Amino acid sequence: MTLQQQIRANRLRTLVVLLGFGALCGVFVAIVYYAYQPGVAGFIGIIAIVYGLISWFAAGSMIAAASGAHPVTKEQQPRVYRLLENVSIAAGLRKTPDLYWVDDSSPNAFAAGRDPDHAYVAVTSGIVELMDDRELEGVLAHEVSHVRNRDVRLMSLAAVLVGVIALAADLLMRITIFGGGDDERDGGLGGLAVIVGLVAAVLAPIGASLLQMSLSRRREYLADASAVEITGDAEGLARALAALRDDTQPLRTVTRATAHLYIESPLRDHKGLRSSLGGMFDTHPPLEDRIARLEQMGGFTLPQPA
Amino acid sequence: MLVVWIILALVVVAVLWLVFTYNRLVRLRNESSQGFSGIDIQLKRRADLIPNLVESVKAYAAHEQGVFDEVSEARSRTLSAQGVGEASDAAGRTTAALGRLFAVAEAYPQLRASENFQRLQEELADTEDKIAAARRYYNTVVQQYNTAQQTFPASLVAGTFGFTPRDFFRLDDDGDRAPVSVSM
Repeated sequence: MTLQQQIRANRLRTLVVLLGFGALCGVFVAIVYYAYQPGVAGFIGIIAIVYGLISWFAAGSMIAAASGAHPVTKEQQPRVYRLLENVSIAAGLRKTPDLYWVDDSSPNAFAAGRDPDHAYVAVTSGIVELMDDRELEGVLAHEVSHVRNRDVRLMSLAAVLVGVIALAADLLMRITIFGGGDDERDGGLGGLAVIVGLVAAVLAPIGASLLQMSLSRRREYLADASAVEITGDAEGLARALAALRDDTQPLRTVTRATAHLYIESPLRDHKGLRSSLGGMFDTHPPLEDRIARLEQMGGFTLPQPA
Repeated sequence: MLVVWIILALVVVAVLWLVFTYNRLVRLRNESSQGFSGIDIQLKRRADLIPNLVESVKAYAAHEQGVFDEVSEARSRTLSAQGVGEASDAAGRTTAALGRLFAVAEAYPQLRASENFQRLQEELADTEDKIAAARRYYNTVVQQYNTAQQTFPASLVAGTFGFTPRDFFRLDDDGDRAPVSVSM
């Protein structure tokens, strides 16, 4: 596939996934509405919406705090900042994103923020030490692609939606278990409602996470492809990914909630086991796949690891 | 009656397509203009560095007047350039002239060791990188814009509403930009 085809295919998949997300929410609401009194559905709905709005507006700073990132100036980090400026110009961004710094020897990077004008790119001290300019440029171009392709907004939205569904499911579970006395609307439905409610409460967060992860994996391939378009250097990014593959230090400050933001999954042991579900819950595609695609794009082959 | 509805539906589809195509061309035209002003900003920034650079080299090699004149001329061409053709021509001249200026500077170890000169050289190398980055973006967008105009049936819209292909920003010495980042 050419780059343009890849981008188009990814856009379509993203749309499908978002529609799936919407359908999931709809089914969840319908189940709650029919199995319980409308009052319960309304109560859960209001709490979920309030929670969703708060996390949406605080997303940027919450992510920075959760990952231990703090802003740095051009004077403090001239090398990284200049590379970031260059890839932002080549990507056609109106403004260079702010540069954030994470004091951690594990090499990684991520982008966050609500829109391209208010975005930041964070790097760990480990990745800056590990990589040469060409590799680091590839990594920054990958992150800037996330900003330009509006991935950071989409992923923030996905994170918020997953959080909302998880919260609603949790509330539902508690109401079902502890508030059983109230929903004796008519004899038979009471028992059925409890079962349906429990199943929905268990399945909804799992489904939501699956959608989030699949969305995230697609986006990684697309960001790799866009990064190559920006730098015109597939080999630089491929070498950077190979360097990440060969490094197994886990990141200290990371949670499952922010895992999908990084250039490479900060949770997984790179050389160790894939999860038993065949990687369905992984936020990132395997590095080998990503490197192979870059090799195909650039027409080169990296030496295999020893 | 059915025929009328079918014709009506076709007209609606045609109008929607027209609006969509026209808007896409306008968007690409704006993006390419924005891309060119991105290059222009960096070219002006490079031009701003030149007077200081010339002064610092002059202090050691005042007799190389020919090189200084060449650099100054290329600089004023950059500042007065209109359009992509003139700008890229001036940019090529500036790069070539700066290459000669640094070749002169090579002969003066004290100059090369001076902090001021090193800082200017670093700034210049950075600006060169940014010119290359801005050029890459502009050329990518121009390619999309030109392709969008030339492919059928959008070419009908482009022709009717006066969209014209844009020039790529070329440098004559592509692949020969090394002289500015002098090895020490």
